[in-house]
Amino acid sequence: MDVREPVPRQRARALALAGLLSFLGVWCVLSYADIVPTVILPSPTEVLRAFPVLHFEEALVRSAGWSLYRVGMGFVLSALVAIPLGLLMGTFPAVKHFLSPLVDPLRFLPISALVPLFLVWFGIEEAMKIMLLFVGTFVYLLPLVVEAVENVDDVYLQTATTLGASRWQLVRHVLVPGSLPAIGEALRVMNGIGWTYVILAEIVNARLGLGHIITVAGKRSHVDQIFAGVLVILFIGVVTDWMIRVANKQLFAWKS
Amino acid sequence: MARQLTPLGRLLLVLAGLSLLGYGLYKYGVLGRIAGIVAPEKRAEGTVSRDDFGASPAAAPESTPAGTTSRASLGGGTRLNRPIKVAIVLWGGYAGGIMANGGLAPNKDSVFSRDFGVQVELLQIDDTTKSRDAFRAGGDRGGVDIMWDTVDAYALEYGGLARLNPKAIMQYDWSRGGDAIAVDASIKSVRDLKGRKLACAEATPSHYFALYVLTQGGLTNRDVDWKFTDSAVDAANVFKAGQVDAAVSWSPDVYVAARERTGGHILASTKEATNLIADIFVARGDFLEQHPEDVRRFVGGWLRGVEMVHKNPERAAVLLQKSLSGVNTLDDAKGMLEDVKLPDYAENRAFFNPQGSLVNYQSIYQTAQNIWRKIGKISQVYPGYQTVDTRFLEGAAEYFPQAGTAKPEFEFTAPSKPRAEPILTKTVSIYFPTGSSTLDENAKAVLDTQVVELAATFGGAYMRIAGNTDNVGNADANQRLSRARADAVARYLVSKGFDRNKFEVVGNGPGKPVASNDTDEGRAKNRRTDFEVIPR
Repeated sequence: MDVREPVPRQRARALALAGLLSFLGVWCVLSYADIVPTVILPSPTEVLRAFPVLHFEEALVRSAGWSLYRVGMGFVLSALVAIPLGLLMGTFPAVKHFLSPLVDPLRFLPISALVPLFLVWFGIEEAMKIMLLFVGTFVYLLPLVVEAVENVDDVYLQTATTLGASRWQLVRHVLVPGSLPAIGEALRVMNGIGWTYVILAEIVNARLGLGHIITVAGKRSHVDQIFAGVLVILFIGVVTDWMIRVANKQLFAWKS
Repeated sequence: MARQLTPLGRLLLVLAGLSLLGYGLYKYGVLGRIAGIVAPEKRAEGTVSRDDFGASPAAAPESTPAGTTSRASLGGGTRLNRPIKVAIVLWGGYAGGIMANGGLAPNKDSVFSRDFGVQVELLQIDDTTKSRDAFRAGGDRGGVDIMWDTVDAYALEYGGLARLNPKAIMQYDWSRGGDAIAVDASIKSVRDLKGRKLACAEATPSHYFALYVLTQGGLTNRDVDWKFTDSAVDAANVFKAGQVDAAVSWSPDVYVAARERTGGHILASTKEATNLIADIFVARGDFLEQHPEDVRRFVGGWLRGVEMVHKNPERAAVLLQKSLSGVNTLDDAKGMLEDVKLPDYAENRAFFNPQGSLVNYQSIYQTAQNIWRKIGKISQVYPGYQTVDTRFLEGAAEYFPQAGTAKPEFEFTAPSKPRAEPILTKTVSIYFPTGSSTLDENAKAVLDTQVVELAATFGGAYMRIAGNTDNVGNADANQRLSRARADAVARYLVSKGFDRNKFEVVGNGPGKPVASNDTDEGRAKNRRTDFEVIPR
């Protein structure tokens, strides 16, 4: 195997399958052979059996719907705020410097510590949950958007300027299209971050929600249900990620 | 002349067709049925009312003898060569063990070590989920052997832990003021909670306390708008911020929240509901199997520590402050001790004996399990005797030769003239023969299920027994009769072991109707006995 030696497509798939199977194999051996007690690591069959219970008693599908809604709202809100703001900051360094003392430290914001504050500020209904997801993703998205704009090659700007483009035209026809593919990638990452924060957002007063299911299962020592809930989140995560990737490819075809 | 449809026209036509079809499916319940398969609702939440509490004959514990275990003696097993690991939280109830251990860390000079020959390590794990993780891991794998719990919550989480075959081994405290309901200015009694927003941590002692108080006050679980938070502290905070009308939480947060919100006050606490929230130790089955002798000594040493706390509460407070993280001042530590009652050896024995105390382990366990099942928190039930092992407590008898039987705990000053307003009023229909004030067996059975448990649970509160009649007959005679009947009820309760001074007897006659006397139905409602729970 050489460094960065490309792998043919078929072999890549075989490798991925082998990785998955060996992971499952280790899981099976550890749990079925009782090397790790089942109260710590449930067996694959137990996890499978948790699904009907969650489906018929804990409204798994409705919960997934609610979680999707919350993550989606947080995602849309943070995109609506972060993309224009990031474009502005990336285009005009003066704006960036003006906001940097506010924005730079935000990346280190301990979101979990904010839950009690958000409860007091935004109440215990949906607003609090969506705000938490909004802030959680926004603080990551904004710097990425700024970076995407800054990474647009100066050559394009210079060419456009030589051709007599106005300031607005530079933004409209050079910076925006130049940075959009990278912003699309950033949004993909945000989707992932949203799904990690949904557990936190649904800790309080969520009658339905995947995070709620997992939290409750944890409290009642139903490890199998925790696994099942996590699997559902992974599944949704992978599917939405794939959708965003396809959308990016379709929308920003000029990238390649 | 046939005209071609435009693409837009075609689209509209298809849409119209689809919406008709959709409406039809919806109208005839097909959509609903599909949704029921694809995305079913949560398990339905039943209604919990006052009849779900109290030892009804059906829910009474199986009459297994007091030592409810498979084996009678404590043989077998080996001695442990490491400290017994115990998960505790920030709470005054651990004073006994901390006293016997001289702190949290195992040490050679402790009472546990010197007098009982066991090493004990107390681990403060304030996050409930993490303490359960530690319990599942077990003491040999970096976790704990014994964990804290409350009987009500244990009934809920037993199913998830059943594989570990856990057993309750002893009681270390009763919450006495540690749990409370803070309410806003407009709420004066439990009935005022109807339709209001109530915050608490779901499926915790707070939740159970709220259900108890609501139902005894004549409401059901469906009468309030529950707002479930992750922790009791969160519940207190959302109350403080004005997001909800009431919150159940624990000390000191709940008292701080009630003080800091304008008009906020405490509606009820375990200071009055003294025998509701019982804290117990639960041990892993494999640990009990392997090291029964160590467990017996642990129980003995802990209860010796309880005696030490009773003799020297000052020192206990100092040690509590020094040992637990989160206790800022000595006054805080003293306050924490005041929020609990540490039962001694005799009281522990009475608690685990189904025929012992009026409110005991089995009665609370059965009631709690029934409640959680009704509101859909659990689907599988486990008999109470399977969840407890009293051999260790019984085996520790040799350490407490003086221990008699548990004595009545509360003293009520005579004559009882409680001034405060009742926290809640439980209305019960007791049938008396016309003109008579004699209780028949039927009436006694009603009192046993509806009132004895209420009076015992609110051990620290006065109870006003108010007899009421309808307007049939002479008002004076009715008044005298209602008073005589209330008296008969009080006498019966005293025969069950209550202090006579706990009760105030009132005969209202027809003076306080709750319904119209013009109908049979209304008159039946007016012939009632009100039991008012009044704080001391």
